[in-house]
Amino acid sequence: MDRQPLFKRKTAISYKTEEKTVMRGYNLSDLAEEGYSFCDALFVLYQGRIPTDAEEKMLKYEMGVFLEHSMSPSAVAAIGVTAGRPNLPCAIAAAVSTFGGVHGPGAAHGYMLDKYLERAQREGKTPEEMAKILVDEYMDAGKPVMGMGQPQHIDSDPRAEPIHAKQEELGLQGVYLRFQRALEAHFHERRKREGRSHVGVNVVGSGNTALMEIGFSPMAGWCLGSVCRGWSCAAHALFNMKKGRAWGASRNEPMVQMIDLSMIKYVGPEDRVVPKQEERQEYARKQKEEGEYKKWAI
Amino acid sequence: MGDLNETKKKRGIGNLGSPKMPFDYFDREYGTVPRDTQRAPFQWVSEVAYKNVHRIVSRGYDTTELMEEGYGVVDVLFVDYQSRIPLIEEEQMLNYVMILALEDGLSPPAAMSRIVARTKTFLTQAAAASILAFGHAYGAYSAFGNRLERYLKKADAQKLSLAAAAELLVKESAGEYESLGVSNLMLKDPAAKRMIARAEKLGVAGRYIAFMKEIVGAAQKQSPEEVDIDMLGATGATMMDLGFSAEATWAILAVTRALATGAHYIEEIERNPYMRMGEALTPEEDYDGPADRPVPPLEDRAKAAKPGVCRSVDEWAKAREERKKLVGSGHAIVEEIEDPSKKSGIEKVGKL
Repeated sequence: MDRQPLFKRKTAISYKTEEKTVMRGYNLSDLAEEGYSFCDALFVLYQGRIPTDAEEKMLKYEMGVFLEHSMSPSAVAAIGVTAGRPNLPCAIAAAVSTFGGVHGPGAAHGYMLDKYLERAQREGKTPEEMAKILVDEYMDAGKPVMGMGQPQHIDSDPRAEPIHAKQEELGLQGVYLRFQRALEAHFHERRKREGRSHVGVNVVGSGNTALMEIGFSPMAGWCLGSVCRGWSCAAHALFNMKKGRAWGASRNEPMVQMIDLSMIKYVGPEDRVVPKQEERQEYARKQKEEGEYKKWAI
Repeated sequence: MGDLNETKKKRGIGNLGSPKMPFDYFDREYGTVPRDTQRAPFQWVSEVAYKNVHRIVSRGYDTTELMEEGYGVVDVLFVDYQSRIPLIEEEQMLNYVMILALEDGLSPPAAMSRIVARTKTFLTQAAAASILAFGHAYGAYSAFGNRLERYLKKADAQKLSLAAAAELLVKESAGEYESLGVSNLMLKDPAAKRMIARAEKLGVAGRYIAFMKEIVGAAQKQSPEEVDIDMLGATGATMMDLGFSAEATWAILAVTRALATGAHYIEEIERNPYMRMGEALTPEEDYDGPADRPVPPLEDRAKAAKPGVCRSVDEWAKAREERKKLVGSGHAIVEEIEDPSKKSGIEKVGKL
């Protein structure tokens, strides 16, 4: 059997021999035998350290509350992929891939906090003063403030404030929570002043604050959040694979299916004649000159 | 749109007017299908979870309330996949399994993540790519678990002892060593055996672990080389004793591993530059395809071309054997892809 390395790399994450798998210096099997939790192992992986009891509890809470979110873009992607009945990992991969600049933008929120905290340090400002600057700069520019608002939970995200409260209960309030709280206060105050509706903190705003407070980088926080959603999306995919109808278009189901033909609302160009090849060049030239196609180009 | 069809019919379009067509192409409708008012409108049907403006509920449990009551991420996996709160020992065991599944060095998922990372993508794309590396050899939990289920059913139906069923399983699984759960991979690493011992100590070991032990015994008797339980066998059997289906096991452990491939993505970016298209070379000494040859002029195409169409079965069979010799053509691979659609359908959901 060929057990040569698949990939040659210098790595500080782990090594694996015939005798053991070692991550950041700890034998994985020993870590499990000692009774550490999976969340402890994630601290070892991303931070090279054993966390405090409170920190482990915080991560367990944050990931637990983030794991399931019913129908959001990630679950929809997973279910959509299952329609063709590929291997299950394809559905999970699709789900995780939906996490971009809008759906769970964990890293973006983290980078925003870091950028303004760096500025606070450089300019000798308090987190509260800098949070106000952040909110004003974002809102003056018409940009959404990361971590605020959720399109479905319009009356405040049910996970968000409880995460803040848990962080405080566990005694894990640091500079990030102080900054985030100040950001939220200025955000609410300004929207109220402008006669706009209340928009609560979302799970990225609070969850990512907690993750960064307990030492995770914006990138690691993003991974923990978005990848752990893969677990629930896999459950949604599996439910549909085991109990749902493949293809999602059957007319024999009592309910109209996900991609039933009647679900299509077409608003593109009208039906038209395909030009013959001998007409092609003239047709194409005219089409290009008239430019009507630009209305549709994406 | 009758006029349009008439115009098209007069103009003629390729073979569409051929009498071989089972329909009159120029009599077919235009426009989208109207809304179906005879059936209930489409909804996302789920037994797993729902949410509204105020809460997220998985299998009946509000997920925020779950966390406030002291449950954690590992407990939610039992809720999502099995609709139940696990015993403390079960939660401990799943933690144990997931720690072991988290990191595996520079194995295919980590390699996938790193390769994708070098093309400058989002982390999530790289982590997703790593999940795609969980095939039926690496992380063969589905193939492994379903085989265990099949032979346990056979044992029940034919009143076989676990040992006899295990012997049969090993005998009939020749050639599918990747998903047997027994191999020479862990002869020097005690991690797999320690996992089984832990499951027994916690009192969560059941029929699957018992069966797995019999499979190990049977494989050791039948194999000419030294073999023992490997990580697939230990984690697969333990997960199934924890109540997870083969597919749930597959999903849970693939995602667990992906949580670590994010670290590989990060390290790859931190240590190595991004790679542009055309940058990576493939050394000629690694190439064993046809020798370099001149491209025939286009006007000589008829002379240079080799027709691919076979006019008889014998000709086809001969050509197929020849084609198998071209590595990368795909002719040497035969896969069976099942269509499970007849088994599915949420029959009673959504009636008006």
